[in-house]
Amino acid sequence: MSDDIKKSKNGEKQRTGHVSRRDFLKDAGLVVGAPAIGTIAVTSKEASAQDNADKDQSEGSQIVTTVQVEAAKAIELTVNGDKYRCTVEPNWSLRQLIRDEIGLTSPKDWCGGLGACGSCTVIMNGRPILSCLTLACECDGADIETAEGIAKSGHPIIQAYIDNNAFQCGYCTPGFVCTSKALLDRNSNPTEADARDALGGNLCRCATYQQHPLAVLQAARNLKNT
Amino acid sequence: MKTIKKFTHIDAKTVDEAASILKSGKASVLSGGTDLLGTMRFEVLPNYPEVVVNLKSVSGLEYIKEDTTMLRIGALTRLEDIAQNDLIKTRYSALAEAAHRTATPHIREMGTIAGNICQLTRCWYFRLPDNRFNCVRKGGRQCYAVQGDNRYHSIFGAVKSCFAVNPSDTAPALVALNAKIKTNKRLIEAEEFWDMAVPGSTVLAVDEIVTEIQIPAPAAGSKSAFIKFAIRKSIDFPIVNCAVSVAGGDARICLNAVYNKPFRPTAAEESIRGKNIDETTAEAAGAAAVQSARALPGDRNKWKIQIAKTMVKRALLACA
Repeated sequence: MSDDIKKSKNGEKQRTGHVSRRDFLKDAGLVVGAPAIGTIAVTSKEASAQDNADKDQSEGSQIVTTVQVEAAKAIELTVNGDKYRCTVEPNWSLRQLIRDEIGLTSPKDWCGGLGACGSCTVIMNGRPILSCLTLACECDGADIETAEGIAKSGHPIIQAYIDNNAFQCGYCTPGFVCTSKALLDRNSNPTEADARDALGGNLCRCATYQQHPLAVLQAARNLKNT
Repeated sequence: MKTIKKFTHIDAKTVDEAASILKSGKASVLSGGTDLLGTMRFEVLPNYPEVVVNLKSVSGLEYIKEDTTMLRIGALTRLEDIAQNDLIKTRYSALAEAAHRTATPHIREMGTIAGNICQLTRCWYFRLPDNRFNCVRKGGRQCYAVQGDNRYHSIFGAVKSCFAVNPSDTAPALVALNAKIKTNKRLIEAEEFWDMAVPGSTVLAVDEIVTEIQIPAPAAGSKSAFIKFAIRKSIDFPIVNCAVSVAGGDARICLNAVYNKPFRPTAAEESIRGKNIDETTAEAAGAAAVQSARALPGDRNKWKIQIAKTMVKRALLACA
């Protein structure tokens, strides 16, 4: 892994080995919409920690009680159909990985990482979960969908949100969209009460609450007709 | 958003491996993460874990199965799976309803039953970031709620000087259903499981891990119910909740969020024993349940007494 010090546009030095979202998007040349292998060479600050991590994983029965260095982990995960190979530090949340490293900014932060707002919601292995309270290093092999992917796939929930004015500022919308899509994946015929129940963990400061269940019901009707 | 401070993450392969790491006293066990990661991000506790041991990498801890004598639920079973399970909804309804009313759908998709019963209190003095208040639950000498804003705190006094309440919704359901908690060391009656610990909420030893919940198969004709009072229909922790299980003229009643641990109002159970449950008898049971309830100095939590009384009444009527 290289130890390059990269300079951003205005000449500021960046963290050693850190690849910014902007640089990644420029350099990786990911073709939008096509499945691709994107490799992010994100190094941890301690290169030796990587060696320790590999060693620990191969000696499965070794029991460690005090460890001096936190160890970075290599993971592979699928986001919106694209495969990513990343080296993540143990303290990274999934939200951090998706936003800051992979570059998909739809999962938001509102409650500060308490799990109290739902704006960081993504779908992981079919479940709508809070990416702020999920550790990236535990997502090896995960299949993740974000609002970007749901939009790109042409899911009727997006048009239904537009038709029903189910957003104003749009900040909470990706979280709501992910939760709604996850509901429709499991229940193709939800009632309004089902929709309210499922969206109970998503907050909206613009108070669009009345519109969301209507959007979900419209999307359900559209899905049945396709 | 605040980045979680650094730590070492270990994926345990077995429960024994996890326990031996926990024995060091410098590690925390991680299941769903919806409680632990919040405490770490905001550095709520005096001691930050050097190591986080992931239990999700241990296989065979997520299951729901019933045999002729009991229901067994693996410790890492998600709350949403419990809430949606048809078997639990029909035969162990108090638990399904309690799981369903817990937190939010997202937290239920991540959170586990073991994590839910082991969760730390939500007392706002305890939970203030950067370990602001060194209260009795942190190893200090004082409960700041006693003379502070105690509107949500205990109406049945303290346990080892702590007036905070237990916030779990599934806990009272497990008590009402006469559950047992299996760990890597022993089998514990649900009623004996909770206690004031520094900073924990259970009697678990430092290297003790919950592996299974066991609930005896319900007697024929028995019913159970769970009721929760909170300001919002979703997200909120309970202000008062109540689970009841009724079988053959006997009721097991358990209140929570009213005391440091789930509270069984035995006076209420006495008052309803052998009687038909109706408006009058349920009302009397509710009153008996809060006989010994007392508001804290300042009367800020006096309102909880009336709510507790009504929750007992409504939970009983739901089993009539």
